[in-house]
Amino acid sequence: MERISVHQFMIVSASMALGITFFPIAQTVTKEAGRDGWWCVLPGFLAVLPFALMILSLFKRFPGKNLIEISDNIIGKWSAKGIGLVYISVSTLFGSHLLALVGDTFKRTVMPLIPDMVFIGSMLILVVMLVWAGIEVYGRFTEIVFPIVFLSLILTMLFSIPRFEWDQFYPVLANGIKPLAFGVLKVTSYGMQYILFLAGVLSFLPREQENQKRFKTEIQRALILVGMLNTLVVLIQIMVFGPDETKRLNFGLLTLGRMIEIGETISGIESLFMMFWMGAMIIRISGLFFMVLWGLRSVFGIKDELKWYLILAGVFYLVGSLASGPKFARTLDLIALYVNLPFASLWVLTVWGIAYWKQKGVQG
Amino acid sequence: MASWLKMLKDLTVRSHVKEVRTPPPMPSDEDWVKPLSYLRIKELLSASTDIVFREFILKGKQDIQCSLAVVDGLIDKQIIDQFILKPLMVDFAGELEKMDLTQKTAPDLILSRLAPANEIKKIDKLGDALDGILSGDAVLFLGEESALLIGARGWVNRGVAEPQTESSVRGPREGLSETLRINTSLIRRKIKHPSLRIKSLKVGELTRTDIVVTYIESLASEDVLNELYDRLSRIKIDGVLESGYLEELIEDMPYSPFPQVTYTERPDVVAANLLEGKIAILVDGTPIALIVPVVFAEFMQVSEDYFERAMIVILVRFVRFAGVFLALLAPSIYIAVTNFHHEMLPTDLALSIAAGRENVPVPALLEALIMVFALEILQEAGLRLPRPMGQTIGIVGALIIGDAAVKANLVSPIMVIIVGLTAVATYAMPSYDVAIAIRLVRVPLMILAGSLGFFGIGVGLYALLIHLLCLRSFGTPYLSPIAPLRIRALLQDTFVRAPWWALKRRPHLIETKEPKTGGNS
Repeated sequence: MERISVHQFMIVSASMALGITFFPIAQTVTKEAGRDGWWCVLPGFLAVLPFALMILSLFKRFPGKNLIEISDNIIGKWSAKGIGLVYISVSTLFGSHLLALVGDTFKRTVMPLIPDMVFIGSMLILVVMLVWAGIEVYGRFTEIVFPIVFLSLILTMLFSIPRFEWDQFYPVLANGIKPLAFGVLKVTSYGMQYILFLAGVLSFLPREQENQKRFKTEIQRALILVGMLNTLVVLIQIMVFGPDETKRLNFGLLTLGRMIEIGETISGIESLFMMFWMGAMIIRISGLFFMVLWGLRSVFGIKDELKWYLILAGVFYLVGSLASGPKFARTLDLIALYVNLPFASLWVLTVWGIAYWKQKGVQG
Repeated sequence: MASWLKMLKDLTVRSHVKEVRTPPPMPSDEDWVKPLSYLRIKELLSASTDIVFREFILKGKQDIQCSLAVVDGLIDKQIIDQFILKPLMVDFAGELEKMDLTQKTAPDLILSRLAPANEIKKIDKLGDALDGILSGDAVLFLGEESALLIGARGWVNRGVAEPQTESSVRGPREGLSETLRINTSLIRRKIKHPSLRIKSLKVGELTRTDIVVTYIESLASEDVLNELYDRLSRIKIDGVLESGYLEELIEDMPYSPFPQVTYTERPDVVAANLLEGKIAILVDGTPIALIVPVVFAEFMQVSEDYFERAMIVILVRFVRFAGVFLALLAPSIYIAVTNFHHEMLPTDLALSIAAGRENVPVPALLEALIMVFALEILQEAGLRLPRPMGQTIGIVGALIIGDAAVKANLVSPIMVIIVGLTAVATYAMPSYDVAIAIRLVRVPLMILAGSLGFFGIGVGLYALLIHLLCLRSFGTPYLSPIAPLRIRALLQDTFVRAPWWALKRRPHLIETKEPKTGGNS
């Protein structure tokens, strides 16, 4: 059985939590909370932390099992199978829509003449290559790619500093705190995707007792890191474009990249950054692909055969192709908010609650 | 007249009749483990004219029929004459009877008192005798079923010369040679510690090539060692004439263009690698040592990195990694920028490139492919030619590709610069194998860049990254210490080389038994 190290777990967690949230997050939070949108980001990601800790406490009791298998033990076989089916459906839907989003992003920004299918197909080939290579290689891939993505985001922000308009920052909390709550909820719906990933990746974590404490620390680190990075992404877009323009821009970060000039020598480097951010897309979609496979293994007991990878790639391709059109980006938001968020939170809370109650019962 | 006709007829008939000869017997697999038999040895070897059987009788209490079997040209005749034949046939000839020489006592008596050769031992297997004779040792048969193997190897060799492909400004000038024992002695001279192990094996059904596996027992990982022995034992091949045969047979993923076993001509490099816990494989007849396991970053290192001061090495390594980047991506980036991403260029440069390409009839991708292909042909042609002709080819190539092609508007001047830069960058890589792999990967990247711009380059690079992440060298991830991350190794000896005084612990690039000590501690 493959294993990932604690350090890889931290990087994988950060990569999955970050995903490609840096593209839509500024628009999402400014729609809810205007110029104060950046306040929502860190709390939104930290709100995910209790769910992660609940999953870790279950892992401590059931080492080597994922949350579907743990559910099997705690709430029964058929309930677990039902949950597994929802898990598979949600991951497939989200993954294939994300693929479509990748195609759309490239088409709208840097390569307008290339058909969507080329982007979706190329990305899918990379995803299948990575997933077929296994979770260890996936862990190592994130170890290399995540720092590059991180650095490219920081560079984009640094090069945008000369365009800051400081008065965009004020007034602070002019609309009160209530709009922030909606913003936090939306950010939490992004973070919940990570919780679903964590539910599946559990079985690949090292089982030694001494690592248990480190898992908690690493998850905290990952979520704080991603929360802070995304806060900066939002803040900088607000400072450069102002809240109204940020609400309007679908790809604000790419517009920032297009505006960058380095000493009148290199300009419009968004296509270069897109190449780096492609890595984040591969990580996220591969993570979802893994989730579907783990779900299929837990529910139907499928074996690790290439045919399943190819069939699944076909499904992703098909759903991704059908998802094209102006509304699918909104569909993605709706899946995150109305499916991922309630499903992940209810599942984790229920399983953890029953496990806790049973344990108390035994002790009592 | 009749007799003449008869003779002519006989001759004609004879020339048409196929001469049916019994082929010389071949040693079967069972022969190697059978008990010793002089007659069988003679049956197997006497068909070859270079194998000499010097038969004589020792007159002791019993007459012992002896025979010394050697291969002419592989032995040191002085050893044979002075230390084997002379003592037995001249010096002690009269005293053998007094010494109680019989068929039973002869081997021990010769071993302990009569033959003053320094390498001598009793053998009882047919295979040992065959191997000994054919490897250049002498085998003294004492009757039919007992024999002594006497080390008498001595043939013409090149000696220790400066390595041709790994020259250095600073550092030792000696290189490995084609003779196995010289190579092991060169390594032993550098590591005078009892923990240095030198183990011999034979590979190749017909060539029976001697190979040596050498490592430092207290450092080398047992898992890697066992895996290596396992892979070597599984080799079934008629002949091993060069270390490259073994390399392909033992590497983890033979279909990858990237080498998973490194090699060197320098004994100091072998010793340095052994000190890092690696294992070297020497093959008789080749001046190359294979080293396992290896990680990608090590292909960017040379022995001088450890002889120069750290600050200089940091700069030089940066240049090498920049070389890899340019060799891999310079043509692809040019194609992507000129075809898809003009906005990245400052206006003056964009106009200059456009002006240069104005009269070129082919698209940038095709232009680049033609140039790169021409460069590859020139490189291949220059590599095999004698040195003076190689220079001529270089000048002709530079003139044709550089000047004439630009004047004829077949290529743009900037493309010549890009391809020239790429060629020079390729030579900045210390490893020829990695340079070839990069040359191979460059072409698909160019095609992807020409079709999909930076997205295509991204697809190619991520596919390459996934491939490299999948590679392992005897269990060690190929991109270690970057992924999996090993901070100490990354800071000590990967992109930079820490000063010797800071190398308190051995860089943890690969699994070793003793990772915590080393360096200057």
